[in-house]
Parts: sequence; C-alpha cells; structure tokens
Amino acid sequence: MNWTWFHRLGSPPHVYRLARTLTPWFAWPAALLIIAGLYGGLVLAPPDYQQGDGFRMIYVHVPMAILSIMIYTIMGVAAGVGLIWRMKVAHAVAASCAPIGASITVAALATGSLWGRPMWGTYWAWDPRLTSELLLLFLYLGYMGLRSAFDDLQRADRASALLAVVGLVDVPIVHFSVVWWNSLHQGSSLLRLGGPTIYTAAMLVPLLMMIFGFMLYFAAILLMRLRGEVLRRERTASWVKEALAT
Amino acid sequence: MNGLTHFLAMGGYARFLWPCYGITFAVVFLNIYWARRLNARARSEARRRLAMREELVLEEQA
Repeated sequence: MNWTWFHRLGSPPHVYRLARTLTPWFAWPAALLIIAGLYGGLVLAPPDYQQGDGFRMIYVHVPMAILSIMIYTIMGVAAGVGLIWRMKVAHAVAASCAPIGASITVAALATGSLWGRPMWGTYWAWDPRLTSELLLLFLYLGYMGLRSAFDDLQRADRASALLAVVGLVDVPIVHFSVVWWNSLHQGSSLLRLGGPTIYTAAMLVPLLMMIFGFMLYFAAILLMRLRGEVLRRERTASWVKEALAT
Repeated sequence: MNGLTHFLAMGGYARFLWPCYGITFAVVFLNIYWARRLNARARSEARRRLAMREELVLEEQA
C-alpha cells in the first residue's frame, strides 16, 4: 500500500491547501443534512408518548453532547501525536479543536439544562453525567487558558498537549457514567446493547441526520481553523507567500 | 389556534425548546464567525511578517 498521502499530512503547505479544498465538501452536505433534520425533527416526527413535543430537544441536545466528547477525543489524540512525533500539524489540529469543543460543550450543557427543567423538575443536579460533562468543559477551558499563558507557540503546544492527553480519561467517564452509576440522566438511546430505544423511523432518521450533519459541520469548521493555525506556525516559510497570493 | 401558533407553542414546551435551538444555532454561527476571524488575523499577520522580511533583505542589499 502506498502511504505517501499519509506522510503528506505532516506537511503544512499540503495541509493548508487540502483544508481549503475540502471545506466546502463538508460544509454543504452539513447544511443540507441539518436543514432536513430540523424539518424532520420539528415538523414530521410525531410527539413522544411521554414527553409530548418536549422530546424534540433531543435533535439539538444529543448531537451537541456526542460532538463534545468526539471533539475532545480528536483533540487529545492529535495532541498526543504532536507530543510524540513532534508534528506541527497535529498540534495545529488540537489547537483548532479546543474553542469549537468548548462552545459545543456549553451548548450541550445548556440544552440539557433546558430539557431537564420540564422533565426532571430542575435545571441542574450534581449527577455523574452532568458533572463529568461540566469537567469536560473545564478541561477545554484549561487547555485554552494554558495555551494563552505562553508567548511561544511551540511551548504552548507542548504544555497544553500534556493536559489534553491526561484529560482523555474523562471521555469514557462521560460516556459510561449513565451505566456505571445511578444517574438522573437517561441511558444512551442509540449506542446500547440490544439496539436503539427509538424505534420509529420518523423520530430516528432526523436524529441521525442531525448527528451526521453536525459532525460534517465540525469537520468544516475544523478545516477552516486549521488553515489559520497552520499559517500561524509557518509565518516565515516560503510557501506562505504563495498561499497568501490566492 | 392556527397551524403556526400551534407549531410555535410546541405542546407547551416552547419556553424550553426554542431557547434550546436558539443556543445551539448561536454556537453554530459563532463558530463560523470565529473561524473566519482567526483566518483573517493569521493572514494579515503573515502578510506583515513577509513585508518586514522583504524590507530587511532590501536593506541588506543596499
């Protein structure tokens, strides 16, 4: 097998150009999936037999929650790769993930809180799922804070990468918290033994569309940020002049 | 109640559901804005550096 394409991912000019080419290929399908998912979720899906129309909050809460841990995983792994193989591009990926992940975690917590009030009778509880998700937000903020404490980008990359890697331990805790402990939060509706608990296609299809749509959206934003991050690390390289001309 | 008000009422959950969607899409659009701003800043910074370097090279030649 030819691995050149893989090795080229370590080359900043190649990644810069690739990111620019790929962005629309993620952005447009993302927009279409999210619009279709919104219509399916808010209009076509029938009301839930227990939660009525309130269950429709699932279509934004679940994608935000899944993304919050998915982005952290990508950030932690990229930071680890950067740390071990000293790859600038990997550090640039990790740095690009953090603000997206932090804002999406805020959305996951806020939408969950708004859903919790009518269903559980409270906006917040110190419950394992909620608490570990809040810790995830602090990990993102800690990572970003640590980065901004260094003037030198390379030192910021290395120091913050360590925190990102250590923080990976919270990812399985968030995911399995509803299984390991007695939680107010319901268990997973999709990824569980015995298949999803949402059987109606009219409810399930819009949810899958929203989840995949938001994943593609994240990929597009990540690629957009990645260009900026790569450029910041390669300010004096000769290819930058060429890249800036277009 | 007509169709639109019925839809907007969301079976009585409107005051929780619409802020939920509002926050999500605020985050969605903020991220687009932040990414664009990061790129614009990185580009102008890189341009400034290049100009400075070229100036240095010219000075050395003179």
